[in-house]
This record gives sequence, structure tokens and C-alpha cells, in this order.
Amino acid sequence: MAVSLIVNGERMASSADPMTPLVDVLREDFHLTGAKPVCREGFCGACMVLLDGAPALSCLMPLALAEHCEIRTVEGLSSGGTLTPIQTALEAHDAVQCGMCFPGMVVSLTHVLATTPSPTRDDIRMALTGNICRCTGYERIVEAALSAVAK
Amino acid sequence: MPGSIVVAPLLDVALDALAERGANGAAFAGGTWIMRSPIRHEPLQSHFVAIGKILELTTISVAPDRIEIGAAVTHTALAAALADIPELDVLTAAAGRSANPAIRAMATIGGNLATAGFAAADCVPALLCLDAEVEIASRGDSERMPLQRFLDIRSTLAPGQLLTRIIVPRSVRSTAHARLPLRKAGDYPVAIVSLAVNRDAAARIQSARIAVGAVEPVARRWERLEAAVVGRPLEPERMAEMAAEFADDFVGRDSIEVPAWYRVSVLPSLMRRAAAAALGGRALSGMEG
Repeated sequence: MAVSLIVNGERMASSADPMTPLVDVLREDFHLTGAKPVCREGFCGACMVLLDGAPALSCLMPLALAEHCEIRTVEGLSSGGTLTPIQTALEAHDAVQCGMCFPGMVVSLTHVLATTPSPTRDDIRMALTGNICRCTGYERIVEAALSAVAK
Repeated sequence: MPGSIVVAPLLDVALDALAERGANGAAFAGGTWIMRSPIRHEPLQSHFVAIGKILELTTISVAPDRIEIGAAVTHTALAAALADIPELDVLTAAAGRSANPAIRAMATIGGNLATAGFAAADCVPALLCLDAEVEIASRGDSERMPLQRFLDIRSTLAPGQLLTRIIVPRSVRSTAHARLPLRKAGDYPVAIVSLAVNRDAAARIQSARIAVGAVEPVARRWERLEAAVVGRPLEPERMAEMAAEFADDFVGRDSIEVPAWYRVSVLPSLMRRAAAAALGGRALSGMEG
């Protein structure tokens, strides 16, 4: 039986095995390839999505438990072709490197900026604890987030 | 063959479903261990019963004499609920600093205790030093036992039995949780020392409970050290010296991350940090992520 999900505001259905990791459903069924299945054990954060508004590791979330949840992937953060403030800041600070970890970083930063009033450097670093960058690009990412806070 | 997963709305429904599925079924709490089965080259069970939506398993009840924690309470929820209870600093730190924020939002305390293959579970030594008990339920039956007993039998529980509740007795004590992850944050610990001490009017230790996690396959109390520190002041340096003296009580486990000897070798340092944190009323020391 198909599992119904709301992905980036659109109702979608998947008939994959109910234990299939959500990241695989997003990528293989819905062709939303922003979330990356990199470590598949919850350490790297490259598969991060917002699940009912909270950051969630889509590699560890079985499809069946995401039923009727509202999922927002990196593809669904901006609207009308306009970048969000954090996306704009990351571009302005030239913070994007290889791109593997980046969708997860953007998702985590979107959440902390939306839920923490005036987040500090420590708040931002804490929010990125579960997002691993192999290009060692953390500092520019943090600076970009702080600049988005300041605006 | 496709698997199945039933989302149980009530505990009775979950216990019935687990009983009916028998050896082919298993409880699914946070899923942070189960979903990594393919990485460990372990087959998934055929049938899962999800317990994360059951109200009584996701509730924390705070009474003057005890705290009861539903088995499906997440690490994030537990750390938030206990943040203002200083005597439980050890458990707040264990729940609030393990792994990374997204894992903590999924992983449950019941999963942490019930997963026999996970040696680096932060909440196990924390709850051992707090004298916790657990409740096991099955269809029409329930049983309460000390956590240590549960750790001994957890691999042999009959199909249909489910860890439902953790009971932590309250008392006046100082507690701390010292852990050493390989990276400063977001990693599993190489070794853990959890400490709970009662001191008399002269600030000498009346009783101590010290538990070590991650060093051996299963966390356990450090009873020789507990006995040796009674009657002494809580001095971090002296506690570290005594920990070094008794460190051969442990046989470290080898792993790809670190050799066995290294896990044992950091115990005195962690003991020092736990004692300093307990003295200062802080749950965490600088060594921790």
C-alpha cells in the first residue's frame, strides 16, 4: 500500500518497502537529489531534511514513519526563484565548496535561524554539530550564517 | 521480501502486536540502531512495531521520591525535562551531549538501554550510577528489575517482552558524567565515567557509585574504586590516582577506532574530570563534546 507524504508542499505517494530510508524515497521515487545518502548512519548530516519543521536524518527515518508528515528538502526552502536569506548569505560569502554536505548544512541553518532569536556563533556551531564538511569549510559557513542573522 | 511496520497508538496494542509476531517481530523506537543494520551486515527483522507514538512511553513523570521515564522518551526530551534537577546532572549530560542533535531527537532512552550491541551508550553508565530500575512488560504481565539485571538478560528476553519504563530514585547527591569522544562533538565516546556521590557534613564521601561505559562491551559499576573512596574527600587528583591504581579492573575492547589499552588508559583522567565536575556542580568537563 502506498505511503502518503507531503513533500515541499505537494502531496506525494510512494509504494516502496515501508522500511526504506526516506532519503532513498526522496531521491529515487521523487527525484529530489539534494539530500545525500553519504554515511547512512546519522553522523554526517548530508541527508538532513525538515520533518514537520524539525531537522531530521532522512537516512535513519523509515518511509512508513514519515507518513502524512510534512517534509521540506533543500529544494523546497526557497520559493519563486528567490533565495532565502541564509542561501543568499552563503553565496555572498563564497561558502559553498564541493556541495556534498551543503544541502544538509542549509537545512540545519534554516532551522536554527527560524527558531532561535538572534542566534550566537555558539548557537550556530551547535546547530551544525551533526553536519560534517570534508572540505573543512566551517568558518565561512558560520560567518555567512552570522551575517544573515545581522540583517 | 517487503517488511512491515505497525505504528502502535497504545501500549496494549504494541504488546499484542509483538506477541503475535513472536521471533519475527521487534520493537522500533527511535530507529537509530535498527536503520543502520545494513551497515553492520545484519538483516532487518521482517516485522516492526513502532512504539514512538505511545503516550505513556513518551512521558516523564517527576515525583518527590522518583522519576519515571517512558522508554520511548528521546534523548532531547529527557535532557530538557531534567535540566533543572541538579542531582540528575549525570543523566542530563548523558542524554544532552551524546551523538549529535538530530540523533538525540530520534534516539530513545529505551533503545539506548536495550541495544546489547551498542557498547558506547551514554545513558547506561549514567543510570547505573543512579541506581535505576527498569520495567519490562509483555501481554498481561510486567516485571520490575534493577538495571544491572536487565543488562545481564537483555539479549535473552523472550519475544513479546518490551522495556517500557525506567525508574530513577531521587536523593541528595552530586553527580557528573565525563566522556571522551574522538572528535570534540558529535561522536561516540571512547570511554565514559559516570559518578554519583553522597558526602557528610565534613565533605567526606559517604557512598559512591561509579560506572564505566564504552570501555568494555557492557557498562558496569567500578565497585573496587567505589569502596576505596568512601571516607575520603572528593579530591579530583586523588580520585584520578586511585582510578589509575584500579584501572586493571577493566579489559578494554578493541575496535577500529581505538585499541583496547587506550580506552582503559583514559579512565583516570575521566575520573578526575568527573570528580571536578561533581565538586563544581557542573555535569560536564572540558574534555567532553
